[in-house]
Amino acid sequence: MRSGRSKSVVVAVASLLLLLTLECVSKESLTAEQIRFFENRIRPQLVAHCYECHSSKEGKVEGKLDVATKTGLQQGGETGAVVVPGDAERSLLIQTLHYDGTEMPPEKPLPEDVIADFVKWVEMGAPDPRKDGQIKDAHIATNPIDGDPAYWSFHPIKNPSLPQVSGTDWPEDSLDFFVLERLEDEGVDPVQAASPSVLLRRLHVDLLGLPPAMDEIKAFEREVAVEGRRAIVRKVDELLASPHFGERWGRHWLDVARYAESNGNDGLSRNPTFPHAWRYRDYVIDSFNRDVPYNRFLLEQIAGDHLKAASEEERDKNLIATGLLALGAKPAKAMNNDFAMDVVADQIDVIGRGVMGVSVACARCHDHKFDPVPTRDYYALAGIFQSTETMWGLAANEKLTAPPTDLHVLKTARHYRAPEGFKETVILKESATGKPKAIPKPKWKAGTPLAMGVRDVKKPVDAKININGDSKKLGDSVPRGFLTAYPSLKSSAVEKIGVKSSGRLELAQWLVHPDHPQTARVMVNRIWAHLFGEGIVRTPDDFGVYGDRPSHPELLDHLATRFVNEGWSIKGMIRSIVLSRTYQLGSDASPDLVRKDPENRLLARHSRRRLDAESLRDHVLKVTGELEPTWGRGSLIGHRDILVNLAGSLHEPSRQRSVYLCYLRNAMPPELTAFDLPDFKSVSSQRETSTVPGQALFLFNNPFIVEQAGLFARRLIESNQSPEERIRKAYNEIMLREPSADEVNDSLRLLKEMSASEESDFLVWQSLCQALLVTNEFRYVD
Amino acid sequence: MSTDPLQSIVTRGYSRRQMLQSASCGFGYLAFASMAQAGLQPQVPTLRPKAKRVIFLFMSGGPAQMDTFDYKPQTGKKAHGGSVMEFKKHGQSGMLVSELMPETAKHVDKLCMLNGMYADTGIHAQSALQLHTGDRLRERPSLGAWVSYGLGTENRDLPGFISLNTSRPSSYSSAFLPSIHTGTAIGVNGEDMGTATIQNVQSRHMSLGSKRAQLDFVQRMNRRHLAERSEDQRLEGVIQSMELGFRMQASAPGLLDLSDESQATLERYRVGGQPKGVGTCRDTDFGRQCLLARRFAEAGVRFIEVNHGSWDQHKNHRRDLKANCMATDAPVAALLEDLHQRGMLDDTLVVWGGEFGRPGINPDKDKNETGHQPRGFTFWMAGGGVKPGFVYGATDPTGTRAISGKIHFRDLHATILHAMGLPPNDLSFWHEGRAHRLTGPQGGKVANAIFA
Repeated sequence: MRSGRSKSVVVAVASLLLLLTLECVSKESLTAEQIRFFENRIRPQLVAHCYECHSSKEGKVEGKLDVATKTGLQQGGETGAVVVPGDAERSLLIQTLHYDGTEMPPEKPLPEDVIADFVKWVEMGAPDPRKDGQIKDAHIATNPIDGDPAYWSFHPIKNPSLPQVSGTDWPEDSLDFFVLERLEDEGVDPVQAASPSVLLRRLHVDLLGLPPAMDEIKAFEREVAVEGRRAIVRKVDELLASPHFGERWGRHWLDVARYAESNGNDGLSRNPTFPHAWRYRDYVIDSFNRDVPYNRFLLEQIAGDHLKAASEEERDKNLIATGLLALGAKPAKAMNNDFAMDVVADQIDVIGRGVMGVSVACARCHDHKFDPVPTRDYYALAGIFQSTETMWGLAANEKLTAPPTDLHVLKTARHYRAPEGFKETVILKESATGKPKAIPKPKWKAGTPLAMGVRDVKKPVDAKININGDSKKLGDSVPRGFLTAYPSLKSSAVEKIGVKSSGRLELAQWLVHPDHPQTARVMVNRIWAHLFGEGIVRTPDDFGVYGDRPSHPELLDHLATRFVNEGWSIKGMIRSIVLSRTYQLGSDASPDLVRKDPENRLLARHSRRRLDAESLRDHVLKVTGELEPTWGRGSLIGHRDILVNLAGSLHEPSRQRSVYLCYLRNAMPPELTAFDLPDFKSVSSQRETSTVPGQALFLFNNPFIVEQAGLFARRLIESNQSPEERIRKAYNEIMLREPSADEVNDSLRLLKEMSASEESDFLVWQSLCQALLVTNEFRYVD
Repeated sequence: MSTDPLQSIVTRGYSRRQMLQSASCGFGYLAFASMAQAGLQPQVPTLRPKAKRVIFLFMSGGPAQMDTFDYKPQTGKKAHGGSVMEFKKHGQSGMLVSELMPETAKHVDKLCMLNGMYADTGIHAQSALQLHTGDRLRERPSLGAWVSYGLGTENRDLPGFISLNTSRPSSYSSAFLPSIHTGTAIGVNGEDMGTATIQNVQSRHMSLGSKRAQLDFVQRMNRRHLAERSEDQRLEGVIQSMELGFRMQASAPGLLDLSDESQATLERYRVGGQPKGVGTCRDTDFGRQCLLARRFAEAGVRFIEVNHGSWDQHKNHRRDLKANCMATDAPVAALLEDLHQRGMLDDTLVVWGGEFGRPGINPDKDKNETGHQPRGFTFWMAGGGVKPGFVYGATDPTGTRAISGKIHFRDLHATILHAMGLPPNDLSFWHEGRAHRLTGPQGGKVANAIFA
């Protein structure tokens, strides 16, 4: 009795200890690295070498040891615990793998490095991220809805009520309540509002990508002084109505759409142009200017060919919109059995990361290791795109890259012909023989308006699983459909995919269903990121397990709810945000605040941002007075179907806004490349901002900057004013302010130094103007 | 649990990515540190490094190994493909080298010959891409970008990776690695090496003195601007990178300008003095490239690639191979000699090779033609801790396939990374949901036997 009792006490204490140990490594406390280590190094070995005999999933649990579940592995089998977290030597599992006493796997020991991984894993505390019970399959949680915070973005969007705050007079917009609540919780005071001049420059850059003029700043300061907030509201509405708005925000979407006017290096250095891609670009800019609701915008781009059109203009527009799915960078077709599935993979990625913020791509070869996307789901989507004909056009008739396809023929769009007397200087050569290549007879009359895009194939089919992503090893066929980890969407009225339809329209409808938990969240987060520098979720294209967690989850849901309820209006969302207290805060912070919140996650201040590549170039053109309006000019390569890699530089000097330059993959306009462009080969909604010396070389030596500074200098010199007056004019028009007395003297000093070294008058002034154009003040926005 | 040095580098990709993200917006104190400095700052290798830098002599097109370094005489009654050039033993090692490489032959005791190379495909572009990036089809970070990523640069006035005279952007791409590791291309697409330069490194509109005055003015503006915003480290970062850019502008053109080299040196390298292109052999002033490579190596650039081609002499085997050898032999020898004389060969790994080899000529068939052969060919290395005067690996008696000391490109990558002190299969970068590494899913095996 006594001994029995003490034994049970020992067991109880031991279990408690075990429990505590396990608690230490429970899911919530696992680091990303631990999870990865398990998923990459441990789980595959368990599946490969142990499941055959020790898996409840395989129906065989020898020695009562089930390694297919977390609980099973923790509890051990008949001989007791097999893992002592943190102590490899005492772990039966490790002894067995070392063939020390017992021997597993029975056929032959595992390789040393695999055993070393197990040792390391046990030493780590045997972190095991699996969630028993909610897992249908060894790899996957297909129903991650119930409360697991890792899958937060799959949970339905809530409509949180406004939090209680003490500073009730601070919020201007309801979103401010959510920001203030967190600030009050953390005991952090927000900074003061930005001055009208700072605010106006910020608004101009954020909404238009262009700077205001100095007289606009002065007028705005006066109006705000008299009318206060009313003047700000009026200005915001004026900016939102400007056609430059679409050029700025369309550009953001073009990054998501991996828009480019050439295929990019196919891996074998061949890079065909896409001469008709620009129509999609113009469609995007126009859609932002017209504030097409985001749900409609997606419908058009994914299934525009299925939408009813009231006019031929509308039909053309809807077809152009489907260019989204055809613009991808294709790998070489030569020697590549998987080419067709590579095209599908790109389309799935645009839907996955581009619309939902979920990386589906992994599931092409295996069930997604972290996110709830089984391989079957991938092929359910793949069937939709296999039933879709993707049309990128002639693609330089390079059959080894992307073999020629048909195109949409437009009815109402204007014709686009080569300029008078144009002669193509590139001769195509067969890559194998070097002989000149026959130029194929065009299918369409010269200048026929054409568009890239998609349409359904005649007989839609379901996709078969490509085992390990190999399109020659086919498994089960999967009915066309959507991702399955969304039970809240299953019961709702989503259209079933008909036999005769590819399913693209139904997919689009599923994506823009008001109950879809990600579509609206991802978009409002992107809007937020463009206005604040970072999103509420800092990985705007990854809302999965390894993405960032929202800094303000309720704020994100509040915005997403409003976005959907207010008709998916992008301009409306932007308007609400820029009129909030939070957006209008200054960007200066005390060292104390910076120490407390170095990354500005609390939003107690605004974040200072650098002009991106396009805005920098547009700013320069604007202040030098050289910027030309461009709308409706097509593209520099609108009539050139050639290999970029054989053509030499296709770029020409231009005064248009940067968005209209020719975005050729692997051959971007030299005026933009210094400042962190993405490669435009996959979805990318956030630009890097690296600081490298090559940028300084660009600013000081690039002919574009030098030339623009010269044009400005010429005007200064021609004004026949005194040096002091010229300096003042330069500061007014470039720095958008008056120079201080110090700055006037400093400028005079530069002029004198340079004159002393016998530089010409023109060069002296050019040098001063260029200097102002490259300052941090010019290139950073408070 | 002690900190595992490998672990830190395994996760480096992820953590730096996060740093990049946090730096891209917030006021992060990490910002400048992670971007301008940590990016190219020399990183401490986690293994003991044998080499500090790599010079990769890429012989594009597939050099014919059996008429250069892998001697295959006729063996029996029946004629088979083999060497048609004369071979002689050279140096103390007695290594056999073809008559076409008389100058390189003088340095055989510095070479480590790798005769067991093999590749997956005989398609030029795919195999060349795989040699550079580990992947045959997709744009992936190049070997040089991985080395720059893993180790940074020794000279903060210069980039960590320079590629001379290449026609393939994919061969110097950083792909998903931070863009700072992209190779700086000089002389792209076979442009005249005599005038080739780094983008924007010079402008002729002002003297350097005036530029200095202009930069000083800009920096005064920047400092005043910063003084009102002293919490923003990124602005300080820009100020420093402008200084660096200015220094690069001062240092790089000097490195590209060979006028401070003696006439004797220029002649040894055959700068500008090579025969005009013959057949497949293009005249790309290979001597200038080799001399530039030495100068960049001296200046502390981590990875320098020197390109020459094309070795794809199908129909005119003898004539074109001879032309290729003539164009490269003396410059390579001069490079080896200079590195040796400067004591730099100890920590500079020189690698020579192409995307595959070629089958031998069959004397009975009276043809002067070869094709592509990925199953067995030759690379050589020198310096950087590899055994000098050593032959490793072999092909079968007819030279058609590697049979011992086999080295695949992924093993070559592993071996080079290992020499640089980087753990080959753990150097990885987290991208689109998984860890990518140069050695691919299979991983690479280090050819340990070649290290002294």
